[in-house]
Amino acid sequence: MIKLRFDPLTLKKFRRFREIKRGYYSLLIMLFLLFAAMFAELWINSRPLMVKYEGQYFFPTYGSIIPGTEFGLDYPSETKYRELLKKFEGQNENWALMPLIPYNAVETHSIEGEYPPYPPNAKLKHYLGTDTIGRDIVARLVYGFRICIFFSLLVLVFSYAIGIIMGCAMGFLGGKFDMIMQRIIEIWSNIPVLYIIIVIASIVTPNFWIMVTLAVIFGWHPITYYMRAVTYKEKAREYVQAARSLGASPMRIILKQIMPNTLSVVVTFAPFAIAGGITMITALDYLGFGLPAPTPSWGELLSQGQKNLDDYWIVWSVIVFMISVLVMVTFIGEAVREAFDPKKFTVYK
Amino acid sequence: MKILWILGIVSLLSGCNQCSSQESTDGAQTTTSTNTADLKSYPNTPITEENLKWLTNETDAPLGSPDAIKGGTFKAFMLTYPLTFRSVGPDSNHSLRSLFLDNDLSLIYSHPNTQNIIPGIAESWAFSSDKKSMYFKINPNARWSDGVPIRADDFMYMLEFYRSKHILSPFRNNYYTEMIDKIVKHDDLTISISSTKPRPDIHEYLALGPVPRHFYGVIDKDFVKKYNWSIIPNSGPYILEKFSKGKSLVFKRKKDWWAKDLRFNKGRFNVDRISFKTIRDQNTAFTYFMKGQLDSFNLTQPDYWYKDEKARPLVNGYIKRHVFYNDLPRPSRGFWMNQASVLLSDIHIRRGIAYSIDANKVIKQVLRGESQRLSQVFTGYGKYTNPNIKPLPFDPKKAAASFAKAGFTKRGGDGILMKGRQRLSIEVRYGNKQNGDRLAIVKESAKEAGLELVIKYMDGSAFFKSVLEKKHQIAFMGWSVSSKPSYWQGFHTDNANKPQTNNITNTSDPALDKKIEIYRASINTDERISLAKEIQQMIQDRVLQIPSWEAFYFRNGYWRWWKLPKVPGSKESGSSFDPTGYTSGGLYWYDKAEHDKVKAAMKSKTKLDNTVETYDQYKTN
Repeated sequence: MIKLRFDPLTLKKFRRFREIKRGYYSLLIMLFLLFAAMFAELWINSRPLMVKYEGQYFFPTYGSIIPGTEFGLDYPSETKYRELLKKFEGQNENWALMPLIPYNAVETHSIEGEYPPYPPNAKLKHYLGTDTIGRDIVARLVYGFRICIFFSLLVLVFSYAIGIIMGCAMGFLGGKFDMIMQRIIEIWSNIPVLYIIIVIASIVTPNFWIMVTLAVIFGWHPITYYMRAVTYKEKAREYVQAARSLGASPMRIILKQIMPNTLSVVVTFAPFAIAGGITMITALDYLGFGLPAPTPSWGELLSQGQKNLDDYWIVWSVIVFMISVLVMVTFIGEAVREAFDPKKFTVYK
Repeated sequence: MKILWILGIVSLLSGCNQCSSQESTDGAQTTTSTNTADLKSYPNTPITEENLKWLTNETDAPLGSPDAIKGGTFKAFMLTYPLTFRSVGPDSNHSLRSLFLDNDLSLIYSHPNTQNIIPGIAESWAFSSDKKSMYFKINPNARWSDGVPIRADDFMYMLEFYRSKHILSPFRNNYYTEMIDKIVKHDDLTISISSTKPRPDIHEYLALGPVPRHFYGVIDKDFVKKYNWSIIPNSGPYILEKFSKGKSLVFKRKKDWWAKDLRFNKGRFNVDRISFKTIRDQNTAFTYFMKGQLDSFNLTQPDYWYKDEKARPLVNGYIKRHVFYNDLPRPSRGFWMNQASVLLSDIHIRRGIAYSIDANKVIKQVLRGESQRLSQVFTGYGKYTNPNIKPLPFDPKKAAASFAKAGFTKRGGDGILMKGRQRLSIEVRYGNKQNGDRLAIVKESAKEAGLELVIKYMDGSAFFKSVLEKKHQIAFMGWSVSSKPSYWQGFHTDNANKPQTNNITNTSDPALDKKIEIYRASINTDERISLAKEIQQMIQDRVLQIPSWEAFYFRNGYWRWWKLPKVPGSKESGSSFDPTGYTSGGLYWYDKAEHDKVKAAMKSKTKLDNTVETYDQYKTN
């Protein structure tokens, strides 16, 4: 496989990347968000971090549900911790430590005598309010972010794996293979992806992996154009001739010789592909053909917000969050492109 | 729900239709009719039946107000533009079809409050002794919008028309062959229509309307294309005056409408013009309404009733609002369980699910406690509804006990019940996006009972197709209703385990079949009523459908200068602002003086009375 040896040239690229401040800070923020979202259960959850009941400690965050019967309640389903907290009030020996935002993304919170959507309320810990059926917006934003960013990353990895190999093979082998594949890709690229996914989603129940698979099946081809062109270029270079004369197999030449030299193309396109992935799943959810309800998603929030413009906190939360993420991804992309640009003297504006 | 998805498709299609059609083709397109000389004339056959008792209705109270005055333009909207002005043939089942159909009057109607027959084009009617036919005397004044009188020949022609293959309407072809045996012309103003077999409430089947023979002439295979955008002569109070494809439709009141002085029509159909504008989004339409660019709005959904509550037109009473309780058969909305699914073939599972569904939480949380739980599949059919049937309440303990009987005893790590390695997980499909929120609440509360419901949204038409092909486990939907309960299509073995039938629960039960067959064949009302109730109890005992919720009222908002009768609707009304419906429509009128008063008040920001009127004459409980 490709060994990432940090040779001076690569280090130089990293340095260049760090110099481009907005890209660099965007990357840091994105990494932080990613990290925070990965462990969202620890700070946005209806399950407490820790419960002490009759001298025993419980850590409900991860793992199986703890039935109400464990805490002396009369039901075998998952404990309703908000009710448990009320029961614990005034008791010193029994307590529960709730996370920062004590709601999960699917539970509906109802306040007696009022109807959702509830506006932002710090006392109730609905920092961005709730949606139209009383689900916390921060929770839905963060869990929705987690789903769409992982969706994008997975789609990126798989579609680039296929696209890069196909592109290189086309460029390297050339001839009839190239001809035929080019035509296939031309046809493939004319398929309206969103519509196809909508059609398929109405036949099978879309789950996360089906969505990833569909997005990969219909999204692997754009990178092949660039890879093919770059491979054609590299193929003619002396080092490839040398490898060939040493008797290296085409596979080995592609993987070991050509591919590392095409890396800069891949890295420059990747961030934009991530942004594309986020937009795609958001669009599908917005139209109602994405992941099944009640999966938290930006698209679903957007469509709610659009229907309830008066409840401004719904639409603004998701718009601000989504635009920030997309802008940051674009900044990262720009910076990477700049850092990997061999023409060192271009002025970055 | 069905209507909604049809709307959806229509809106997609019409989006494109609009691009290709020429814009602003204002005014009527004239289609010259075929030479009427080609038409055969129908011979007279003397009436053979003796002792015919001619009936009419001089007693049932009309709905219109004696205070009503004519005039004004009523501004309404449509979500999609119709794909054709024909009311038969391809694409004719669009959301505004009723506007065209309402203006094609039938021989007779049922009074919306008493259910007695009232005159339409027929001024009197008589029943044959074999309960298969009815005789009608056509009102001699009846005439088409182009002035041609409506005569027996138009009815004779109607049967040929609807049986013709050229209209490309298999449904009509079938209905007018399977249901209607023949139409006989006794003289120019007297006809009789016969059903293929005796039926209960035969007048509901034989209330047909004429087709303008002089206009269509002999129809051929070009019918669909030729009459796509024609303004076809009609017999009702309004006729399409002008249109702009994709944008607007304007209906004009016929000043000399032949039926305007009939007792039942007095004080109705008052507005001179009804103009429909295409607004493709409900929310946008609401904004138009608040700005006064639409005259009324249906506020039944809490989303709209509570929207902009603090806006000046509402607070200051420039817009009036009312709640009207109606009493009519309710759509059979709920969770339909397919017994072809292994899990759902077990009655304990079905009963468990019924106990796991917290419909009241949905009503309380999303519908603001303003809707009611439907009691069963056949709610609101008056005498035909069994009042003793109540839905199973949400009760996780009873649910768990019922699931335990089916072998689901242990809870898995996620709290869902298990039977060995099988999880208690069931898919619920739905085709109307609006229900997503509601089902999300149902899903969350079902977890308490250890049941996992997987919620799956499908595009309306794909959803309906999959349900008719019986590919669902649970379908969340409702059937549109008819005036009397019908059981054969939904619950008889004949339709079970076959695609494209309405037995979506795949119910096949000899005991039930037997009752349904007797009910279907019976023309004795008392027997039918008692059977209807028994069958409902059997459906309830077998837990085939879990009823959901429904608003038992409608709510309208309207600008203050629109006036309404003291009771602004009938038992069967769906809105006080139905512009053309023959039984309950056209009740409102325009008050110029009030309009000026409101305009002045708006200018000076004066507050007017803003009480919300409630009409509970027809409230059932």
